[in-house]
Amino acid sequence: MKRFRLVLAAALMTALVLSGAGVTAQSEVTFLSTQFNIVEEAAKARAIFERFEGKVNFVPSEEGPMIDLLRAEGQAGRGANDVVGALHGTFPTLAANDLLLDMTDLLEEISGSVDVNESLVALGRLGTEDFQYYIPWMQATYTMAANVEALQYLPEGAELNSLTYEQLAAWGKNMQEALGRPGLAFPVRGLWNRFMQGYAFPSWTGGMVTGFRTPEAVQMLTFFRDELWQYVNPESINYDSMGARLLSGEAMVTWDHVARLKPAFDAEPEKFVAFPAPAGPAGRGYMPVVVGVGIPATAPNPQGAEAFIKFLLTPATQGAIMRELGFYPVVSGVDTSDLPAGVAKQFEAVQAQGLAEDAIPSLLPVGLGGRGGEINEIYRNAFSRVVFDGEDPQTVLNDLGKALQALLNETGAACWAPDPVSDGPCQLK
Amino acid sequence: MSEKITRRRLNITPYLLLLPSMIYLLLFFAYPMVQAFQLALSKNVDILNLRAEPNFQSAVTGSLALQTVASVLERERSEEILPNGARRTIFWFKVEATDLNGERVQGWVSQRNVFIENRSTSTTLRINSGEIGVRQFTLEFVQRMINDSRFLPALGTTILLAVLILPIQFTLAIIIGLVLQSQIRGSSLFLYIYAIPLGVSDLTAGIVWFAVFTQQGFLNSALVSAGWLERPFIFLQVSNMGWMIAAIVIAEVWRATSLVMVIVVAGLQAIPRDYLEAGEVFGATVWQRLTRIVLPLLKPSLQVALILRTILAFQVFAVVVALTGGDVLTVLGNETFRWYDPGRFNNPNVAAAYAGFILLISLAISFFYLRAVRGQEEALKHA
Repeated sequence: MKRFRLVLAAALMTALVLSGAGVTAQSEVTFLSTQFNIVEEAAKARAIFERFEGKVNFVPSEEGPMIDLLRAEGQAGRGANDVVGALHGTFPTLAANDLLLDMTDLLEEISGSVDVNESLVALGRLGTEDFQYYIPWMQATYTMAANVEALQYLPEGAELNSLTYEQLAAWGKNMQEALGRPGLAFPVRGLWNRFMQGYAFPSWTGGMVTGFRTPEAVQMLTFFRDELWQYVNPESINYDSMGARLLSGEAMVTWDHVARLKPAFDAEPEKFVAFPAPAGPAGRGYMPVVVGVGIPATAPNPQGAEAFIKFLLTPATQGAIMRELGFYPVVSGVDTSDLPAGVAKQFEAVQAQGLAEDAIPSLLPVGLGGRGGEINEIYRNAFSRVVFDGEDPQTVLNDLGKALQALLNETGAACWAPDPVSDGPCQLK
Repeated sequence: MSEKITRRRLNITPYLLLLPSMIYLLLFFAYPMVQAFQLALSKNVDILNLRAEPNFQSAVTGSLALQTVASVLERERSEEILPNGARRTIFWFKVEATDLNGERVQGWVSQRNVFIENRSTSTTLRINSGEIGVRQFTLEFVQRMINDSRFLPALGTTILLAVLILPIQFTLAIIIGLVLQSQIRGSSLFLYIYAIPLGVSDLTAGIVWFAVFTQQGFLNSALVSAGWLERPFIFLQVSNMGWMIAAIVIAEVWRATSLVMVIVVAGLQAIPRDYLEAGEVFGATVWQRLTRIVLPLLKPSLQVALILRTILAFQVFAVVVALTGGDVLTVLGNETFRWYDPGRFNNPNVAAAYAGFILLISLAISFFYLRAVRGQEEALKHA
């Protein structure tokens, strides 16, 4: 099956070569990206990239074929792609195959003209100290969103920007009683694993991984099963992107990736509000999403690639991407004075979430290489076995904790934030 | 002599005619099948060879397993100019660690195979890639499949769906086939209408029925506007397992009954009218003609349809995912996908174990049906 994917990658490569990407003039830059691979998004992205002085050949791709393509190029020793844009989690796989150039010098050059977010830059080193695998390009996160009509049912004393999970449950109860139907809805079929990893576990245990089978984690799952889920729309098991569900009214209060909520805020900005995730006993867990750009060692036009990356990190480009595509800047100095109403509302919520005093930024898993998907399934399963199948939380967490520990040991992944730094593979408590 | 040669030449023709389909089967069925079993039952044990000098051409001084932590004794920094003009620094490290046989080994490794925090100062590194060592037989992936908490529920649901769906489909298909066969006016038009779902992919069918059953779907809108329901009823939810199963059954029956029907109609058309007329002459009632003449003669067609449908029933996937999300209600096909999907488990080995398991079930069922048919034929011959 891997071979099949290789064949696909080879086909993609041939297509690229045939389309002229392989025999580019020095000025043309081919940008392979896992972001903006939906047709409308790709069109908006291309329009933004047209402002670049050279010619950009934007090639959106899925993650799997992209990795296979770059591997094939690495093996062949020559390639057609100059810049890769991908989520943070894609880069460890590319790094483990030694497919990327060190970007320390370029970063230094860029830092001379703009301030790039330091913590995101550190992420781009993938745990090393002297190899910059990617330069952060843009960021996003997940926030809550609600229909303004739901605000009247907020429990007394609850503040949107400092909501707790207890209050969220009370809010759900009020809506259920007033509307006669559940007002809460969540994307269980969508990015729910991110909610478990970056929001639920950190808010109760203070970490994502080390506290996986602690009594606090049991408490968290019990809370979701007994106190919250009865007020959640049972069709949530079929919900993927929540923007459409907000618009249709199936969801009055929800949580999702900002880009997935954006359609609702674009269509009817006055009808919805965005606000930070609730806080649990340990704090307000939230997950920043980082998208980076790197240069493959086989890039035919590395100078062009560097020029293009500089262009991507200019405040003007960063602002355009925020306005058009809903990803937030990684550099300072972006003009945010004249944002469309919906974008501004979401941006405020994102900032409030990041600046909250009790915020626990929880990063995407680091160092799992090609097995990053497994951790997602472990967290999804933990939720679904306890809340849907009614299994005992401690038993489920012990069982899955074993799988999680095995995964960490086999990949040798050290703990990542917010879990404390570890020497060697991360160990569960 | 010459006659013999001619005969031989003649004999090649059928094989030549078979050749394209043989090549097709070997290339697109046998080869992937062997590959799948290989994926499911063996794994690569990767190792990293240590070199006497800091380059890939020099002699091997030992080897280390992946994830071994080694101490750095020496390091060498060099620069290479890539074909695209970019410069790249290459580090080689002389390391020492314990190999798989418990012996201390020393040698040089390239930075491309290791994880090291700081190439100029760190004193330990971890081996994180290497060469493909040996291919080893393993039951690890099969065990992972069987021990997975969703394996038994998936198997159970798949069997339950087959048991519920097949009888309904066959009853319906036979009834429709008989109605079409009765030559009432416009029956050929009905044939086309009934055959429409044949052209609909299973995912489409799943989405269509999801649009019917969802909270704001057609069914709820109809029931609410007719005044039978005050507010939409949520059919597809965890506490309504029965409704979720029912929705899948309805969607699958709608989608795949036509396949059985087409086979049944073909079978019915092959039954000579003489038999039925003879039955009529001897005063057999409609029911007697159906049970004594039509159904026995239809048996071979039904068996073909049964094999086909049962095999397809074990591959059920898209309809289930479209209707229930695939997390709270799962089937074997969905588990295969979940393990294969790069965004989820990304483990083709366990996915191949599932695929192999489905294949074995399908083979066993086909074998059982074929034996059952042969058994009956023997019995008929002896009677």
